[in-house]
Amino acid sequence: MADTKSGRYASSSAAISPLVQGPENLECKNFQEYLRTRQTPETLEKFYHYPPICLAVFRELPEIARQFVIRILFIDQPVPQAVVSSWGAQKFAKEQAEATSCLSALNVWRVTAIPGGLAAWELSPTFKKSVRQALMGGGKPWPMTNTLDKDSKPRDIPFLDSYAMSRWRCVLHYMVGTGGRNGGSDAEAISPDAVRILLHANLMKRDERGGISITRQGFQFLLLDTRAQVWHFMLQYLETCEERGISLPECLSMLFQLSFATLGRDYSSEGMSNQMLTFLQHLREFGLVYQRKRKECRFYPTRLALNVTNKDAATATTAADEERMQERGYIVVETNYRVYAYTDSQLQVAVLGLFTELLYRFPNLVVGVLTRDAVRQALRGGITAEQIVSYLEQYAHPNMKLVESAIQSKSCLPPTVVDQIKLWEMERNRFTYTEGVVYNQFLSQNDFVTLRDYAQSINMLVWQNERTRTMVVQKNGHDDVKRYWKKYSK
Amino acid sequence: MDAADAATSTETEASIDLLVVVLDTNPSQHVVRQNPQNLTQILEAVIAFGNAHLMQKAQNKLAVLSCSHHATDFLYPLPGRQVELRQVDGQYEVFSLVEKTVKQQLGSILMNAPRLSSPCESLLAGSMSMALCYISRLQRNIGAGVKMHSRILVITGSNECASQYMTYMNVFFTAQKLNIVIDTCALDKTLSLLQQGCDITNGQFLKVTQLDGLLQYLLWVFLPSPQMRHKMVLPPPPKVDYRASCFCHRELIDIGYVCSVCLSVFCKYSPICTTCHTIFKMPGPLPIRPKKKKKPEKM
Amino acid sequence: MADDDKDDQKEYRWETGYEKTWEAIKEDDDGMLDSAIADLIQKAKRKRQAEKTKQNRLGMMRHLFIVLDCSESMSVPDLKPTRLLCTLKLLEIFIEEFFDQNPISQLGIIALKAKRAEKITELTGTSRVHLKALEGLANVSLTSEPSLQNGLDLALKTLKVVPSHASREIVIIMGSLTTCDPVDINSTIEELQKERIRCSVISLSAEIHICRHLTQQTMGTFGAVLDDSHFRDQLLSQIDPPPAAKTQDNSLIRMGFPHSKNESDGKDAALSMCMCHIENSDEPSELSTTGHHCPQCNSKYCELPVECLCCGLTLVSAPHLARSYHHLFPVPNFEELPFESVPPEAPDFGSLRKCYSCIKVLNAVADKSVFKCGYCQQFFCIDCDIFIHETLHACVGCNTIPGVAGLVYQKQGGKAAPDFHQQQPSMMPSSSKQRSQQYSM
Repeated sequence: MADTKSGRYASSSAAISPLVQGPENLECKNFQEYLRTRQTPETLEKFYHYPPICLAVFRELPEIARQFVIRILFIDQPVPQAVVSSWGAQKFAKEQAEATSCLSALNVWRVTAIPGGLAAWELSPTFKKSVRQALMGGGKPWPMTNTLDKDSKPRDIPFLDSYAMSRWRCVLHYMVGTGGRNGGSDAEAISPDAVRILLHANLMKRDERGGISITRQGFQFLLLDTRAQVWHFMLQYLETCEERGISLPECLSMLFQLSFATLGRDYSSEGMSNQMLTFLQHLREFGLVYQRKRKECRFYPTRLALNVTNKDAATATTAADEERMQERGYIVVETNYRVYAYTDSQLQVAVLGLFTELLYRFPNLVVGVLTRDAVRQALRGGITAEQIVSYLEQYAHPNMKLVESAIQSKSCLPPTVVDQIKLWEMERNRFTYTEGVVYNQFLSQNDFVTLRDYAQSINMLVWQNERTRTMVVQKNGHDDVKRYWKKYSK
Repeated sequence: MDAADAATSTETEASIDLLVVVLDTNPSQHVVRQNPQNLTQILEAVIAFGNAHLMQKAQNKLAVLSCSHHATDFLYPLPGRQVELRQVDGQYEVFSLVEKTVKQQLGSILMNAPRLSSPCESLLAGSMSMALCYISRLQRNIGAGVKMHSRILVITGSNECASQYMTYMNVFFTAQKLNIVIDTCALDKTLSLLQQGCDITNGQFLKVTQLDGLLQYLLWVFLPSPQMRHKMVLPPPPKVDYRASCFCHRELIDIGYVCSVCLSVFCKYSPICTTCHTIFKMPGPLPIRPKKKKKPEKM
Repeated sequence: MADDDKDDQKEYRWETGYEKTWEAIKEDDDGMLDSAIADLIQKAKRKRQAEKTKQNRLGMMRHLFIVLDCSESMSVPDLKPTRLLCTLKLLEIFIEEFFDQNPISQLGIIALKAKRAEKITELTGTSRVHLKALEGLANVSLTSEPSLQNGLDLALKTLKVVPSHASREIVIIMGSLTTCDPVDINSTIEELQKERIRCSVISLSAEIHICRHLTQQTMGTFGAVLDDSHFRDQLLSQIDPPPAAKTQDNSLIRMGFPHSKNESDGKDAALSMCMCHIENSDEPSELSTTGHHCPQCNSKYCELPVECLCCGLTLVSAPHLARSYHHLFPVPNFEELPFESVPPEAPDFGSLRKCYSCIKVLNAVADKSVFKCGYCQQFFCIDCDIFIHETLHACVGCNTIPGVAGLVYQKQGGKAAPDFHQQQPSMMPSSSKQRSQQYSM
């Protein structure tokens, strides 16, 4: 939805309907966008000293760009641009251009001249060195890989999964405000640091009474899948980390290093700087790593940390995946818009309540119905139909996915429901906003008609009313019409 | 069109790419006999290539099989065996795991192999069939909604084992059916059967004459996933000869006779099938009428 | 169900002994039936596999007519969305698979519309034509009754002129319970029997006496479908080539093996048009340098196999023939053994038991039974057993362990033609290895 400014008029019905203040939407950046928008070439160069960051950057590149990098990785001289562009098929020149510009924007390669006056590409030496090191070996080992004695009580993957999810849910519960009231095992309060991040990220805000309440963006955040939530949250964390006096590249490198770790293996925090140990404690709080005691050197990265770089959790082994599935899928949607949610979690009920009208509540089951009013309420809150649908899909009960329908659709939800939710959203988009300038208080009908006809002839008239002698002209036509008016009134 | 393109590209991003490398480690290969060091060189290139594949996407998977003169074995992964490994240098943990496992496993295979008395053929088709079994197992185990693209890369300096013709064909057709791409990197001679296999499954066939540039060749031709190969400029497919050879003289023929029962190919008309022992009825329009007289003449 | 008891046709279901069918189903520890059902399915698969290997002479060149009921009864929505649409969908799969498995066979489609029979496609070897015709059938108006006799007569007329070395078959898909025929259908059945045309019927409604009678007389199979997946199974069971009829004439067929022009000239051939598209106005022929040239008259085709339009020679490529070999040389069945019989690996590798081909770590609970190949003595998991027999058609162990491969073919060759070696020792290859080498190119 377009945001509105004071000098705006909507065509036709805008005069009647009050202008809605467009809500600020949750902005989710992927890693590439983050690097491109937030970082300067100098910081990028600093990042590239860390092989884990380089590896993550490499995986973020477009497919064609990855091939280019791999092919010039082992070539020591710069490669003429013409040669590089001959590697891609002509038909996909556009895609290739995108890849090329992406590589330049991320400072992965740069233009140099080679003898003979040809322009050539050369990989950033730091980047090249780090990637080569990650791929072929050499250099210093990454931190946290010091040898450890065998853990006498090694933690298995299911344990780590459940630990991570319970920690992460703590944060979410805090946001919905159910944590304190519930008093259950999940209800450990979160640290002031975490609260500060939530406030910084604009996911929560201080209200008048000094308490803290969830914002619109916060609700949208809840609708994201866990991976996206963690990523968004960590990005916000990284933004605040300079304030804390922790070095950003080090943090980022650590985060990616965790994400490249092997699930179910223990790592050592020996030899880490104090800053990194603090960072590790934060990660521990959010459930990205498991550590038995604060002082212990041994820690296990969890799936939350691993998923930071994985586009989706496809790497997860099937057995563990299934386990997570059972925990995740709890919603059944019927074609009559009824929603059955098998859950006792306050958080899940609260999220569901954002866009459904809850009807009944049982110990382990909540029944609601998707109504126009409820969905519109959510849409007004800045949640998009897409988000609602994807939330329902994501947490669909495993049995929903088993249903084989004759109509092959990608979604496991009933198509009617999906379509209706989208229609309800489109209902709200009946207005098109146009910026304009009002002309009124004409002294004579003649003046009005002349000016109106002129505006109409240059296709700049938005709206007019002869009786009240009012007309609205598009903003970019204003100068033209004004000039005409001055000439005419003389 | 853009939207469709974008959709397919996100799809390929989310899918799992499985690469199974079938590496010929037969000591009687021409390249290895020339210089035993060559095998090490090839191995290094294969490991680097495999790791480059794993580096592309977090979801990518790798398997390496060795096809030796006495057996076919998996070099990576080795299920159920925990390798306690800590980083010793800046190499990414997963990559060093691949490198260590492959080298160790191949070492132990070569140490325990029976001594080679005379040069023998590599049973590549068998190794490929094993790769197919492995792929089909992974395919069965992935969750619903996740796509997996698999391919097999054969790296060999041996000749094709002619006695495995049927196995080769069965492997090619199975691969075609399961949408598995077969790529071949020939280190010595042009391999006509594998060439056919690459053609049938839309894979790439490449003959590398210089071992020095092997890694660069592998990265250029075989690293792009089959789904994106049309976006890259790759060597043009070689012309594949699909003519059959007759069972009687093993010569390539243009026009031949096929037994209606077992589909054996003969270059001359004969009254009895030498493969399935069927006695044929004389076709009317054929110029030869008295078969007993005509036959000795032809033989 | 209906197809299961084709061997004992005399007996009706109620005449057989009292079957305790429910006793075959056992609950697992959680009281679920899933594992028991999976077990049943696997057993059924293995049973089908076991039957397959018994035949060794097959009708590889098939001429098959699909006779499709397009009467009012096909609009019944008991198969989703309707009987006709479901059938067309399945036929698409069938046709693709049919040409995949029977590359040098031909297929035609006949529709039974309003008591008349209409040939939708002629007998041809390209799937494209049929698939296109099927698309057109989706919108056909379904009225009145079908006439089985008219359909059979039409198919018979065409199949009569087909060379006798081919296996001739008709597969009828009937939705209707009745047929409206001009004269006595028994005379048609007699003639089909005389011509040795194998007729199989798949009924979408119920078992019909006349159809059952037809299949019995012509050595075909009869099946009534339970649901769409059963229908699919029934249809796909028609894909494997049937055993050759005893009276089927065998002969050598002249075939051309085209190769692309460029190969021989050493440089690019001149631009030319292909014959397959030249008369097709929808997709006009394009000038190109590639293509397959008939070795006899030099006309060009863009895909194989095809019958040359100019000189009538059947053009195929070597892999097309090879595609059918697995029907003739199936992998011998494996022996089912308990899990404990697998030798574990050396203790320093964890004493694991693994499937030979997919290196799956076997465990005593999930893999109760394992499968051993009698030739290479290797053990496989059940999934690999099925994959090897149904898809791959080559035993992984026999093909990776040197010296075993020969053994298998020797034994098999002996089985297929027991008097092979004694009768004509001079013409026969003495060792199995040589024999399989004959397939080399």
